Amino acid sequence: MIGMLSILAVLLLTLSPGIAPDSTAQTKDDTLVYALQSDIDTWDPPNSVLREAIILGYNVFDHLAVRDLKTRKVVPHLATSWKALDDTTWEVKLRQGVKFHDGSPFTARDVKASFDRVLDPTKKMTARGNHAKIKSVEIVDDYTVRFHTDGPYPLFVERLTALVMASDKVIREKGHEWMQEHPIGTGPYKLLKWDRKQEHLLVRNDDYWGPKPAFKYVRIRIIPEQATQIAELLSGGVDIIKAVPPDQMDVISKSGQARVSVSPILRTAMLQLDQAARGGPNPFTDRRIRQAANLSTDMDGIIKHVLNGLGDRTATAINPMAFGWDPSVKPYKQDIGDAKKLLAEAGYPNGIDIVFNEGPPVVEPGLRQTDEAIAADLTKAGFRVKQNYIGDNTVVVARIKEGKQGPMFDFSWGYYSVFDADAILYDIFKCGETYSYYCNPALDDLIIQGRSTLDQKKRTEVYAKAQRLLFDDAAYVYKWGLRGVWGLSNRINYEAPPDEVDRMFLVTPRQK
Amino acid sequence: MKGYALRQLVQLAVVVVGISMLAFAILHVIGDPVLLLLPQNAGREEYERYHKLLGLDRPLYVQYWKFASQAVRGDFGKSWYTDTPAFGLVLQRMPPTIYLTLAGLGVALLIALPLGILAALKRHSAVDNFCTLIAVAGQAMPIFWLGIMLIILFAVRLHVLPASGYGTWQQFLMPAFTLGAFLAPLTMRLVRSGVIEVMNMEYIKTARAKGVDERMVVAKHAFRNACIPVITVLGIQFGQLLGGAIITETVFAWPGVATLTVDSIRNQDFPVVQCAVVLLALVIVVVNFAVDMVVGLIDPRIRVSA
Repeated sequence: MIGMLSILAVLLLTLSPGIAPDSTAQTKDDTLVYALQSDIDTWDPPNSVLREAIILGYNVFDHLAVRDLKTRKVVPHLATSWKALDDTTWEVKLRQGVKFHDGSPFTARDVKASFDRVLDPTKKMTARGNHAKIKSVEIVDDYTVRFHTDGPYPLFVERLTALVMASDKVIREKGHEWMQEHPIGTGPYKLLKWDRKQEHLLVRNDDYWGPKPAFKYVRIRIIPEQATQIAELLSGGVDIIKAVPPDQMDVISKSGQARVSVSPILRTAMLQLDQAARGGPNPFTDRRIRQAANLSTDMDGIIKHVLNGLGDRTATAINPMAFGWDPSVKPYKQDIGDAKKLLAEAGYPNGIDIVFNEGPPVVEPGLRQTDEAIAADLTKAGFRVKQNYIGDNTVVVARIKEGKQGPMFDFSWGYYSVFDADAILYDIFKCGETYSYYCNPALDDLIIQGRSTLDQKKRTEVYAKAQRLLFDDAAYVYKWGLRGVWGLSNRINYEAPPDEVDRMFLVTPRQK
Repeated sequence: MKGYALRQLVQLAVVVVGISMLAFAILHVIGDPVLLLLPQNAGREEYERYHKLLGLDRPLYVQYWKFASQAVRGDFGKSWYTDTPAFGLVLQRMPPTIYLTLAGLGVALLIALPLGILAALKRHSAVDNFCTLIAVAGQAMPIFWLGIMLIILFAVRLHVLPASGYGTWQQFLMPAFTLGAFLAPLTMRLVRSGVIEVMNMEYIKTARAKGVDERMVVAKHAFRNACIPVITVLGIQFGQLLGGAIITETVFAWPGVATLTVDSIRNQDFPVVQCAVVLLALVIVVVNFAVDMVVGLIDPRIRVSA
């Protein structure tokens, strides 16, 4: 047995040099460490559905347009300007003197190649649906491109922030599979190495056309367990973590090592009601019962007491940060008396039985606790709520898509980072859409009007009408806009970004 | 011995094929991977296009046959998420998990052997009671909790070890101990009862009667015989240890195959899950085979009767 032990010991000793640490020359002072809960699947952002892939992509690639975090408006980036020549043609001028990481210049050919690649229906590219309104891309000269769209496409400019510019040469010569692991962009950082499920190391692109990042290196560490992430932040192993649970905020701020940074994010939460009767006849096809549900809940109190203020009340599902939001529509206020009256009018003077399908807190912090509070409020008004918790988000999403999650269930929508009312109205409220449990031809008409014109003033008016309608008809039970909580080490200057895209090139070291 | 080994090998093959079929069937039952592969706002047309691209529109037996015929050639297909070969992905993540389980096993033995023998020799003494206490505590402690407690103590409070990560020997200590602590109690109890049983045997009396030094009696005569059930159970426990590795890897951000498998199941990345399940099954089956062979070597009765 002693022999066996020594064999084991020798085995371990001989194995350990094989897992020698990274031998890169970076020091702690010039390295920023960023934690992710799970690794990205690919370094080819348009081939991924993960937000993490979009975030990392932002640091290595550039987009034609980006969001200015202060004004939240879309501003030129690799494009220098754009204008609509007519309802279906956009002309975009490109920045000159920009180079890819492999040294080749960025021109109109790369723009066309990037779009053609994602639009090709024979290729397996997950982002295709987001750009399918673009029919073709035409090169006018080296630094001018024209986009031809299928009908008016008011989201054109918004969507320019959603596709990374890859190199035509790389697409042609290296190909799809190579691109999954080797990002060649024009961005402020370059990928040095990637140890899957472990870490990424980025190095500053010293030839970057824009302002140079302060940190020379960025290490992106994959740390699945939230408690471990917090421990790393507090022991100085990591500089930025995300999705801090509300009950851990104090632990971080009182540590002296780190602080929290809170920002409203573009995601609205609600309880969807099966008004469209996708799962068969149910009480919520009656407007009075939907209104009663909205009137029975005290969302402001829940935000304040259950969520520690981490939410922004919304009158409908339109997020205050989205284009088209109408501040004149005010949210429902709790009124148990009115709610009971409406239930009685609808034929339920003695209350009504309701199934509430609850999901796990994957994107919504404190979801289970707020669900309890909401169920308790509903009960007060006469809804006899049967809470049905489904702990596996995969199952929840599948049930929602198949129309089986009604009559009432947890839902939230992140707009796919498109700051526009259309990005939620179309997917969540239009008749027959995968996630919509609401169907109202009058609303459909407004949704179509809103997406068929480039006139922003007219669109604002259309969306104001839509919000009034959604409020009066109480399509779903409206909750709040979410807030994201970041944990930041005290050695850096940084703020939580409202679009949830962490830009490592904006982080600077704090003066000691 | 040869016939015995051969029979074991045939059983191995049957087990691996059976497991691959089971994994295939379960994956297809738990849901539709295309729902997860596409963005939430993808329309029906995109959905159908993807179904075709992945070959999910074909009958199940055709899909399994395609998988199996390629798998025997070492081709497990490409991951649907990363568009890179699944085999490479899994193989790349294998070493960290193997190191972790070996280190865990080492720690478990380092704790269990001395304590188990000591407890057996000093039966019903304070030492024995203390060892029982440790065993009960160790058994009752969830891996997850122990891991976090170690991190809080050694990384956050004392600043002597990195909280998580993989690569240096410091980063090895806490995960190895966590996993070892999970296996140690059971092993210790086994060693204890094994040694107690053996110490009552006639041949121990004989050895003592011959005037053999007591230390030699324990080390040579008693321990070797007490080892047999321990080795057998450790072989069986190896699968459990891999299960424990999933949690340990998660807590300590360890880039192993266990977390890769769990992530891939969550993403319904069929090719990667298939590949990982088959390879892990192979590892477990081979370990059990090796244990059987070792026990056969130590204990001639087994290979003769078999």
